[in-house]
Amino acid sequence: MRREFRISWRLLRHEMRRGELTIMALAVALAVAAVLSLSLFSERLQQGLVAQSSAFMAADRVLQSSRPLPEQWFMQATEAGLEYTERVSFSSMIFGQDQLALAQVKAVGQGYPLRGQLLVATEAFAPGEATQSLPASGEAWVHSGLMGQLNVTLGDTVEVGDKRFTITQVLIKEPDASLNLFNDQPTVLIPLADLAATNLIQPGSRVQYHGLFAGALTQLSAFENWLLPQLDPLTQDWRSVEGGDSPLAAAMQRANRFMLLASLLGVVLAATAVAVAAQRYTQRNYDAVAIMKALGGRKRVVGGIFIAHLALLSLFSIGLGLLLGYLLQTVVVFFVSQQLGYVLPAASWGPWWLALATGLLTAILFSLYPLIRLLQIPPLRVLRRELEGGRWGVWLHGLFCGLSVYLLMLLYSGNWLLSAALFAGGIVAAVVLLLVGRLFIRLSRTLGMQAGSSWRLAMANMQRRGRQNSLQMISFATAIMLFLLVLALRNELLADWQKQLPENAPNYFVVNVKGEQIEPLHGVFAENNIEATDFYPITPGRLLAVNGELVADAVPASEQGEKAPQRQGFGRELQLTWRAQLPPENTLVAGSWWPEEADYQGVSVESSVAERMQIALGDILTFRIGADDIQVPVRSIRDVNWNSMQPNFYMIFSPAAFAQVPVTYIGSFYLPESRQPELYNLFTSFPQISLIDIAGVMEQVRTVIGHVSLAITFVMVLVILAGALVLVAQVQASLDERQQELVILRTLGAKQRLLSQAVWYEFLVLGALAGFIAALAMELSVFVLQSQVFQMPASVHPRFWLLGPLVGACLVASLGWLSIGRLMQQRTADLIRLIS
Amino acid sequence: MAVIQAHSIHRYVDTPEGRLTILDDINLTIDAGETLAIVGASGSGKSTLLALLAGLDLPNRGHVSIDGVNLSHLSEEQRAVLRGEQVGFVFQSFLLVHSLTALENVMLPAELAGAEAAEAQAKELLTQVGLADRIHHYPNQLSGGEQQRVAIARAFIGRPQLLFADEPTGNLDRATGKKIEQLLFDLNRAYGTSLIIVTHDQQLAAQCGRTVNIDHGRVQELAKYEA
Repeated sequence: MRREFRISWRLLRHEMRRGELTIMALAVALAVAAVLSLSLFSERLQQGLVAQSSAFMAADRVLQSSRPLPEQWFMQATEAGLEYTERVSFSSMIFGQDQLALAQVKAVGQGYPLRGQLLVATEAFAPGEATQSLPASGEAWVHSGLMGQLNVTLGDTVEVGDKRFTITQVLIKEPDASLNLFNDQPTVLIPLADLAATNLIQPGSRVQYHGLFAGALTQLSAFENWLLPQLDPLTQDWRSVEGGDSPLAAAMQRANRFMLLASLLGVVLAATAVAVAAQRYTQRNYDAVAIMKALGGRKRVVGGIFIAHLALLSLFSIGLGLLLGYLLQTVVVFFVSQQLGYVLPAASWGPWWLALATGLLTAILFSLYPLIRLLQIPPLRVLRRELEGGRWGVWLHGLFCGLSVYLLMLLYSGNWLLSAALFAGGIVAAVVLLLVGRLFIRLSRTLGMQAGSSWRLAMANMQRRGRQNSLQMISFATAIMLFLLVLALRNELLADWQKQLPENAPNYFVVNVKGEQIEPLHGVFAENNIEATDFYPITPGRLLAVNGELVADAVPASEQGEKAPQRQGFGRELQLTWRAQLPPENTLVAGSWWPEEADYQGVSVESSVAERMQIALGDILTFRIGADDIQVPVRSIRDVNWNSMQPNFYMIFSPAAFAQVPVTYIGSFYLPESRQPELYNLFTSFPQISLIDIAGVMEQVRTVIGHVSLAITFVMVLVILAGALVLVAQVQASLDERQQELVILRTLGAKQRLLSQAVWYEFLVLGALAGFIAALAMELSVFVLQSQVFQMPASVHPRFWLLGPLVGACLVASLGWLSIGRLMQQRTADLIRLIS
Repeated sequence: MAVIQAHSIHRYVDTPEGRLTILDDINLTIDAGETLAIVGASGSGKSTLLALLAGLDLPNRGHVSIDGVNLSHLSEEQRAVLRGEQVGFVFQSFLLVHSLTALENVMLPAELAGAEAAEAQAKELLTQVGLADRIHHYPNQLSGGEQQRVAIARAFIGRPQLLFADEPTGNLDRATGKKIEQLLFDLNRAYGTSLIIVTHDQQLAAQCGRTVNIDHGRVQELAKYEA
């Protein structure tokens, strides 16, 4: 084996130095680098985002319950190596200096918050500073808005139930502040140990108990597996950042899907480049094998030499890829971390194994058949140069390549269904592209016959290499299509997110506004040059019955007994509103919006609620609002974009249905962060109005979107690189044949200019055709992806129809020229020597 | 003593238009140390005959023996070993491995056969062919004549009993061709090798001890020259 290794090392060393293996090595290295950098980066970003987003819950996981949580669960969490703490929250009237106000009391245990930070200040509405401490026994921290309502300052006392607390800090922000606009009352933070002394927790009190947990993912999963089967789904809810309907979760899910998809495409492209380069690599060695065999090299020895050669090349390329990938992600992570303001957590070893497997798979499976054919080369080739290895088992090559592409997809996505769908789609696309490509090549030949001589030559060349060019065109078209696809999807995703969060989207909500305060409030907004939205009337109400049949409310399963199954209600009061018009970001899916008749009765129901509760058009819903029960027919069912930063409602009534109901109003406005200190003065004359700050949430969502955009751009660059490599590999593959043609044409007296133009035209047309086909295929793919994978409205991209052929023509022509330009400049005599 | 014996060999290929006979009932004996020229028109079957005699290919009928060993009874692998031990080649298009230097090309057959100390021997041979100062050059850095000299050095490294040369001067100018011929015959004499040359060149053929003319697949004429 030493002899084989010695010869192959010698071959490899010289060929590397002479740049003959550059494309092959680059292709494998790029596949490996792409997989490593992308998976490292996305894993680190994901973990970073989860860590950041965990701050919104003050923990990695939260268990919410309407009943006290068993002590045993916390013991189990400790055993699993998790940190935990408790939080008990409820609404209560709080007494201050002769004033009282409704507040959200949060009694928190030691260690709270497990994630994120508490911001406190010594003045209301001040920016606030992070603190590690908590109120001591007998102390309370009171939210800015509540300070005004209760007319208290630091050092004063507030009464919470039977216990008096001294205010030691103004609470500016707690990490898990409610995002529910309507339930959000200003908070009072007290120690959990003082809760019993308030005597507010009585049987029947509406109290939420929260268990907060934090720890490593594996520990959390282990605990989850133990805990989840024991939960009562009616009264207990287990929450993580990734789940839920928050704009953050939605943005992250979409971004993840995009990254996964784009990376898969990038890897497939790089693998294609490997396949093309492997083919050429082996073809270039046909003569060497024939010579070695003629000179007495046994099959085993020659096989050993080339297997060792390929193994060495693969190892080198994989090593290079790992190094490049690591460096690439280090640079990207560095910039992203700078922007994020925190260091992304380290990744696991998973991406390294994945990248290594990718390198081995691409290098071995794609080269296997070309290598087998290489070793089949007969020694007689030294005399009869046209001889090649047997063409047996071309299907085997197809099988190997297909298998490796599918394995790569599976390895990368971990989702066999997605991989199978993409794979099948790819095969169908390839066949269609092949047929369309051939058709176009024929057409262009017909057209070319009527053009000038260089055109004619170019088209004749294209036609002559029809089969090879069709295959080339598939690679070109696939590369361009993937590039366009990633570009289009990226733009769509960014536009979609941007739409949800325009620069001046409202960042404050005002709730508890009385009807007579709307005018003065508008006055304040106008005076201070603040943009405000409409005010919506709201009132709390409970859905009692559907068609006279009572709905089940949040009654624990154990207390339900053997009663007949009922529709499951909300288990809480809903915020109800009325509107004359359908609100923006709402779409009717059934029924019609009500006419503007003064006495028209009706309610419009949000679609997911209607589906869950089996509510249909015409059903009569009974609501309890205050002490009264009202009955209204369902007139329409709506889809609601819950990601939009505006008040959204499950139930919207017709104005007439709400005529006799006492309401308060909710509105929103935009105030730049720099003007935040003005808030206190603005609202001093409206003490009972609650102000909800969602700027923090929006900033967080913006940050996430910003980073995800960066990640997406990074993926796109890799896809473009992989695509370019395929193009170069393809052009390189046709180099030998072109060399021969060039010699013949030169010998026949063709001028340099004619030949150069012909080459340009050939690549221009090939590229433009490929670009056009790519645009068609891209449009179809984007449609499927938008509607099926990203749950976005589908769209058409007319400018890509122009961009596709343009990008194709420029890219293919430039790369083509770069690859064979050197050939064109050479003297005929040198070319002849190159051929021989 | 006969080194090669061709017994009634036939070579044909089946085409859609019917069977195409390339060699038809050829009988030939080549003795040790003999020089033989195979001449004939293009497409007459000269190179096919060379391939069969060298064991690169097998006849459809009849057989070729080298040193009394019937090549038709050997597997591809066994024939490779036999070539490695007893046969050297020089081709019209030189056929050097372009990724290896002159020295490495010359060493290649010896290394393939598992011989140690090939480097010293290769250097000596390269010196003999006048390329001592170009041993680390790649084929594309050498002229045609130099490449052919490397090929000749490579052919002799295994001290072959038989040397096959297919149009060895066909790609070279007259003057360079002359030098190459000279070198070939000099080394042939020095190493006592049997030399079989396929050529169009009558002057080159005239330098061989014997000439066979292939016409329409048959050996038509045998002429004897004094070497």
